[in-house]
Amino acid sequence: MSGRLRAWLDERLGLEAFRHLAEKKEVPVHRHTFWYYWGGMTLFLFGVQVVTGILLLLYYRASADEAYESVRFIMTQVSFGWLIRSIHSWSANLMIGAAMVHMFSTFLMKAYRAPREVTWLSGMGLLALCLAFGFSGYLLPWNQLAFFATKVGTEITGATPVIGSFLLRFLRGGEHITGGTLTRFFGFHVAILPAIATVVLGLHLYLVQRHGMSLPPGLEASGTPRPAMKFVPNFLLRDMVGWLAALGVLALLSALFPWELGIKADPYSSAPAGIRPEWYFGWMFQTLRMLPSHILGLEGELVGILGIGLGGVIWLLAPFLDDPRGIGRRGRLLSALGVIAIVYVVGFTLIVYRRGKP
Amino acid sequence: MSPRPAAWVPLLALLASTGAAHAAPAPKNSCLDCHRTLDDRRLSAPTVSFAQDIHAVRGLGCVGCHGGNPVDPEMTAMDPDHGFKGAPTRTQIAELCASCHADAAYMKRFNPQPYIFSMAEFRTSVHCKKISEGDAKVATCTNCHGVHGILPHKDPRSPVYRRNVPATCSKCHNAEYMKGRTVPTNQYALYVSSVHGKALLEKGDLSAPACNNCHGNHGAVPPNTRDISVVCGTCHGREGELFAKSKVSQTLELEGKRGCVTCHGNHDVQVPSDAMISAGPEGVCGRCHAAGSPGAKAAAVIVPRFQALKSRLAEADSLLNVAERRGMETSAGRELLKQSEDQILNLRAVLHSFDLAPIQAVMAEGSGLADRAHREGLLALRDWRNRRIGMALSLGVILVLMAGLMLKIRRMEST
Amino acid sequence: MKRRDFLDWLLGLAGTTLGAFVLYPVVRYLVPPRIPEASTRRVAAAKADELKPGSFKLFPFGSQPGILVRTANGEYRALSAVCTHLGCTVQYRAADRLIWCPCHNGVYDLEGRNVSGPPPRPLERFVVHVEGNDVVVEKAKSA
Repeated sequence: MSGRLRAWLDERLGLEAFRHLAEKKEVPVHRHTFWYYWGGMTLFLFGVQVVTGILLLLYYRASADEAYESVRFIMTQVSFGWLIRSIHSWSANLMIGAAMVHMFSTFLMKAYRAPREVTWLSGMGLLALCLAFGFSGYLLPWNQLAFFATKVGTEITGATPVIGSFLLRFLRGGEHITGGTLTRFFGFHVAILPAIATVVLGLHLYLVQRHGMSLPPGLEASGTPRPAMKFVPNFLLRDMVGWLAALGVLALLSALFPWELGIKADPYSSAPAGIRPEWYFGWMFQTLRMLPSHILGLEGELVGILGIGLGGVIWLLAPFLDDPRGIGRRGRLLSALGVIAIVYVVGFTLIVYRRGKP
Repeated sequence: MSPRPAAWVPLLALLASTGAAHAAPAPKNSCLDCHRTLDDRRLSAPTVSFAQDIHAVRGLGCVGCHGGNPVDPEMTAMDPDHGFKGAPTRTQIAELCASCHADAAYMKRFNPQPYIFSMAEFRTSVHCKKISEGDAKVATCTNCHGVHGILPHKDPRSPVYRRNVPATCSKCHNAEYMKGRTVPTNQYALYVSSVHGKALLEKGDLSAPACNNCHGNHGAVPPNTRDISVVCGTCHGREGELFAKSKVSQTLELEGKRGCVTCHGNHDVQVPSDAMISAGPEGVCGRCHAAGSPGAKAAAVIVPRFQALKSRLAEADSLLNVAERRGMETSAGRELLKQSEDQILNLRAVLHSFDLAPIQAVMAEGSGLADRAHREGLLALRDWRNRRIGMALSLGVILVLMAGLMLKIRRMEST
Repeated sequence: MKRRDFLDWLLGLAGTTLGAFVLYPVVRYLVPPRIPEASTRRVAAAKADELKPGSFKLFPFGSQPGILVRTANGEYRALSAVCTHLGCTVQYRAADRLIWCPCHNGVYDLEGRNVSGPPPRPLERFVVHVEGNDVVVEKAKSA
């Protein structure tokens, strides 16, 4: 009977083509295969975000008067509201962590080489979207820490040359952070960013299917046919083991370290001690903090922003800067840059957390 | 009434000089000009701080109190025919000051809402009575307010600025000065260690009473029995009100005991502690109520219930703390706890009615709230436990599933 | 043959159990709780016949307590119960027809005006109306 159903659907939806693709898809097996799982892990965690986010949407209210109370309502009155909310908050962090692992591993394995340049660019776009999701979502509970962290974050954005003050007013919906900012961030978080992310994610996944999985340069050069495993069911089942592990971690974190409610935001109070942005902005924050107030006649913060921006542009253009086959001096130089970048980002993130401890 | 000093003379001089278009020279004050140069300390001392004296600032120079002629630079300025009166004797001082300060119409020229000194009030005071008996060591106006550098009482440098009042009173009210008299002399030492003294002198809380707030300013007397709960009740309104209506206050008055002071002390009053409502050594009920008396029986009802309420609250608080540390939301319980604490505050005041019915009503209300807060704490901990059980079960299922999948993969790939 | 079936059976059971563990909280979550909304702007403070004239009730409103008073002639008044002095919870004294704070003797009238004692500001007033069997309290529309 299922055969008849499948035939009916296939005639109308053309499912046979997808089945064929899925059967054909292979994943190379070598000692770096472990890193191939991280794209799927990021996707899984994104899915968790979408589901829990939609559930939260059923009770959350996006006005300054009611946001905090609605989150409190979810945490205290709604059945398992505490669980959905804590999973959403924790999974956001895990997703960005997975995205960064995925990005660094594809960089070091030079998966950005032709013909996968657009895959790389769309992936960087997805990372930027993840950070935007994180930044916009962080404000929504409207508590003191979120309010003031957003204040600092938008102020730093405002220091960008030329477009800074426009960006600040665009983000805040005015000069200051108000209920209007909350409405705007909510709009970004549940409508605009998801729409853009759908398109970019669709492009990214399509390109991955189109070009197949890349091989790291050393292994590619050897030329001999590489052992591979079928995506369905072998790789996928392994993927699922990883996803189950992630689910377990989320359950553990939500039960043992539930996300706190905080104190309702009071725009007229002074900033509470110890505000800082979420950890994924930590390394940028720490870089700016450590720069002297003036460098070569320019404001230190400005130099910091430009420097980070420049670093980002170089990172983005890696496919075009590297040797086409990823070997030779340029290849090694870029790999070295990659390692330095990883050490820098990880190191500075840790420093923020060390210093942050009271 | 005594003749008004020739105040209009310097005033006219002032008016005449301010009529000039340019910055007018200061009005002529030959008294200051001469006395300032004298070697005799007793004669030159008054000139030192006179410039900031409020009377000088308002245009009332030396002649305002002493009479004489301020424009005459010679000794003839001090001619009695020109109204010179010299330094008043101790018994004359109050009347001299009152000649202006008790005259409402006159004072209003300097201040739209003046303090009008009442000679009648001053006559009720111990100070006035002793002065008219000829006692030279008793305070009159100048002892507290100063004499030639008088500052308004709102000026922190004034000896009658609230924070300075206790020190000013204690200049006389101490063991050495009062030697040979029968009045108590430990008031200042007691006051400094009291809650009022610490609030006023250490924390600078200007709402705390100084000596004059309870004893009166110019009519200083130790308040008598009935007055005491009125005195304390001026600030401690609710307690004073309840106490005044209570049977205890009537009994104390009949027995000649001293109202609030019986349990709280007066000059050395401390922050009342809940240990005063106990059967222990600090408990105050047992001081008057012999065992078996109706009062002791009432205390035997109140004390244990009060202690039970407080320990229930402490339990609820610690339960909620534990829940909070474990990440649970406890705002509902905290609100109930706060309301219960409000009732304890209420209770401490209602105790002063010494009437079992309202006291028990408040305790019942507080207990009800404390019990509800306690239950919220227990619920929060129960929820936390359930979450961990749920988490453990889910993790168990996940681990089984992961293991199963890995086995399946291995089996699939071994064939 | 038996081991293959056992493993598949175990996987099926564990998978279904996990599915239930995921679906159960989601389904429970979707069912709205008894108080259907965070009562920040509007709450049913009491039943219509709950308060006798001359009595009062404290009720939760948002994250703060409110006070609902039924005056001697049967009218309702609702105000914030948070004393504007130091935040203690106020109560109603029927004998004086005044609202009073036990902490430091602050007194307010039934319009919320601070008439005596340390409170520096009036109590916030709410709008009350009776809807069917409920006495409903709402935040006043700001100007």
